[in-house]
Amino acid sequence: MSRYESIDKILKVSIKFYLTQLVDISLNQRARGEKEMGNCISGDVGGGKQAIGGVQGRPTANNNAGHNDAVDHFFRARGQNPLFTQIELSISASKLRDRDITSKSDPMTILYVKKRDGTLEELGRTEVILNSLNPAWIEKINVAYQFEIVQHLVFRIYDVDTKFQGIPVKALKLNEQEFLGEATCVLSEIVTKRNRSLTLNLHSRNGPGGSRNLGTLTVHAEENFSSRMAVEMKLRCSQLDNKDMFSKSDPFLRISRLLESGNSVPICKTEVINNNLYPVWRPLYLSMQQFGSKDNPLLIECFDFNSNGDHALIGKLQKSVSELEELYKDRSGANLVFPSSRGQEKVLKGQLFVDEFIEKVQFSFLDYISSGFELNFMVAIDFTASNGNPRNPDSLHYIDPSRRLNSYQQAIMEVGEVIQFYDSDRRFPAWGFGGRAYDGTVSHCFNLNGMNAHEVEGVEGIMAAYANALHNVTLAGPTLFGHVINTAAQIAGQTISNDITKYFVLLIITDGVLTDMQETMEALVRASDLPLSILIVGVGDADFKQMEILDADNGHRLESSTGRLATRDIVQFVPMREVYSCRISVVQALLEELPGQFLSYMRSRDIKPVNA
Amino acid sequence: MESKSRTLEITILSGEDLRIDNKSVKKNAFVDVSIDPFNCKTTKMDGEGGSNPSWNDKLVMDMPMQTRFITLAVKCKASSGEKTVGLARIPVTDFIGGYSPETCLQFLSYRLRDPKGLKNGIINVSVRVKEPLHACSSQAAAGLGIPIDGRNDFGVVTGIPIWSGYPSNSFFR
Repeated sequence: MSRYESIDKILKVSIKFYLTQLVDISLNQRARGEKEMGNCISGDVGGGKQAIGGVQGRPTANNNAGHNDAVDHFFRARGQNPLFTQIELSISASKLRDRDITSKSDPMTILYVKKRDGTLEELGRTEVILNSLNPAWIEKINVAYQFEIVQHLVFRIYDVDTKFQGIPVKALKLNEQEFLGEATCVLSEIVTKRNRSLTLNLHSRNGPGGSRNLGTLTVHAEENFSSRMAVEMKLRCSQLDNKDMFSKSDPFLRISRLLESGNSVPICKTEVINNNLYPVWRPLYLSMQQFGSKDNPLLIECFDFNSNGDHALIGKLQKSVSELEELYKDRSGANLVFPSSRGQEKVLKGQLFVDEFIEKVQFSFLDYISSGFELNFMVAIDFTASNGNPRNPDSLHYIDPSRRLNSYQQAIMEVGEVIQFYDSDRRFPAWGFGGRAYDGTVSHCFNLNGMNAHEVEGVEGIMAAYANALHNVTLAGPTLFGHVINTAAQIAGQTISNDITKYFVLLIITDGVLTDMQETMEALVRASDLPLSILIVGVGDADFKQMEILDADNGHRLESSTGRLATRDIVQFVPMREVYSCRISVVQALLEELPGQFLSYMRSRDIKPVNA
Repeated sequence: MESKSRTLEITILSGEDLRIDNKSVKKNAFVDVSIDPFNCKTTKMDGEGGSNPSWNDKLVMDMPMQTRFITLAVKCKASSGEKTVGLARIPVTDFIGGYSPETCLQFLSYRLRDPKGLKNGIINVSVRVKEPLHACSSQAAAGLGIPIDGRNDFGVVTGIPIWSGYPSNSFFR
């Protein structure tokens, strides 16, 4: 019951977000429309004409179309985003302490999430199990898994007194119950476990270390979705009505899911095909989460694109996914209808055809992670002179004796503490660039720890090597990324021949303007086919326009001087100054796209989770 | 003894935003792949994709050791005959001697240029060099879902890439 409620809530939110999305798209169109008056021959698709929601993350398809803040919201609102998955936690415990005199304890677990400020927020309670010291609770507790955040969980077990039996668990006052123990962990620790189960020792409120054995608690995580099934369809129409005065219609399809309430929620739209009454759209990719079930009716509307956002309906029809499959099998078309004024529907000549229908299995990020796939973390730090003398308090590299972290340390900590859970050996390559290194020459990729081995242990290891390097390395220049990217790409390239379960994440922290923009672009284009993502954090007040070019979020693929293009977007950039200006960590924004980039790589190669 | 050529598996995947005289290509786009004037292969014609055709056509070709470029010519068949949409030249070094071993499946994308040299769309391909002596881990290519139990235990034999065994000048003869 509670699950249906939450679906309903998600749908309501998604309608709201869809409205915002429409507004965003039409604003975008207006802006683009004005711009394009001047240069009408542009290679890219005009704003708002892209396909949304049905585009699979494939490197070889033009999948940049989906990158749009409004669309991200739209996805997120539906709980659809691969980074935002509902997880169901099952909890059991063993060897709990016995607090009752005549019988055994009657335990219940409460799950909290610890927020950044240290306060606890209750996420849910299990039922009370009577008379058991080894309870396995049936009631599951839902948590929204977010890759980009370290989610600290606190489990507390109470013995519920017999006199409160029959009272709903939500209403129980905890100060009237007997405390049996607590356990803490991070959500990532559970999902990265092979069987997605983690056993924790229970301890008293004062934290671990007490001598008394309070038993253990086991958490098991299961992703909460109906199916991994998805369909890929190629749709086309014939004999569409003409809606434009001077040319033919510019048709696109919008597909919505019909709800029992009679409302509909848009789930995807195709790209616009200009001036064509027989349009063929690129393949659509719909997941089970989007269409609900194969028998759920979908509303398919065909519109004539209008740049002012007022798209004219050409015709519509209702078909479920299984009916669309029938159309495909019979190679037959379905007629579009047009609602006329008297509430009747006029059957049009225009027809919809399904030229291709493929059912696919779509694995989630967590499917890979829990089957042993890893994210391997690497760091490169800018030692160019523009950072300022590290002994000087206004230097970006200044290490505050009061232990307040500088921007470099902050970026290492924030990214590192999220990613470390996905790297089993926690040995991270750490480099510096643009500094006069230990041997006296300027190097654009030197080992941060000053030794021959580039790996350091843990995030603490990176922090120590960084602090140490500041004493031994003289800041120099210029700012070159090429060497670092090459080194990281070589490591990633060497690994794929014998291990397909590793994906690399290179964090570059820099204060400045690149000297080797062209070399960097070439290296990125060549590296775009590797299991590698590059996160760039800009510190200080420099103008980071260049970095925005490297981060291909605007839909342009990076291009080398020889005409080779990046097969996918592997760079994410954020300026650190935004960290101070807003409450939400910008590092989160940096990490958000990682699971998507990981999936686009794995899916393009048809690499499946182990044992799947 | 080493052979003087190797087998190239090139899959012409898709094209994006193809135009002729600034008008989107409607249908019948195809690709000529040539290693040299006597060694060409042609993909099937795309009937449905319009200006964003998808071919997914795997061509297996012999590539002499001294080959330095592969030329892709996207063409379009119309009533008036064949027209060239755009060309792309793939340097062999883009997939041999790159970051990843050439025996693994590599995806490559190129900007096309029309006969006047102007930018015209994009072509996406995947390439694999077949080296029977050197095992490749690419699941997609091998079509195997090998269950891996130990994370680092793959029983891998380290091999020296075949091409490094050739005299280096044989590349540029």
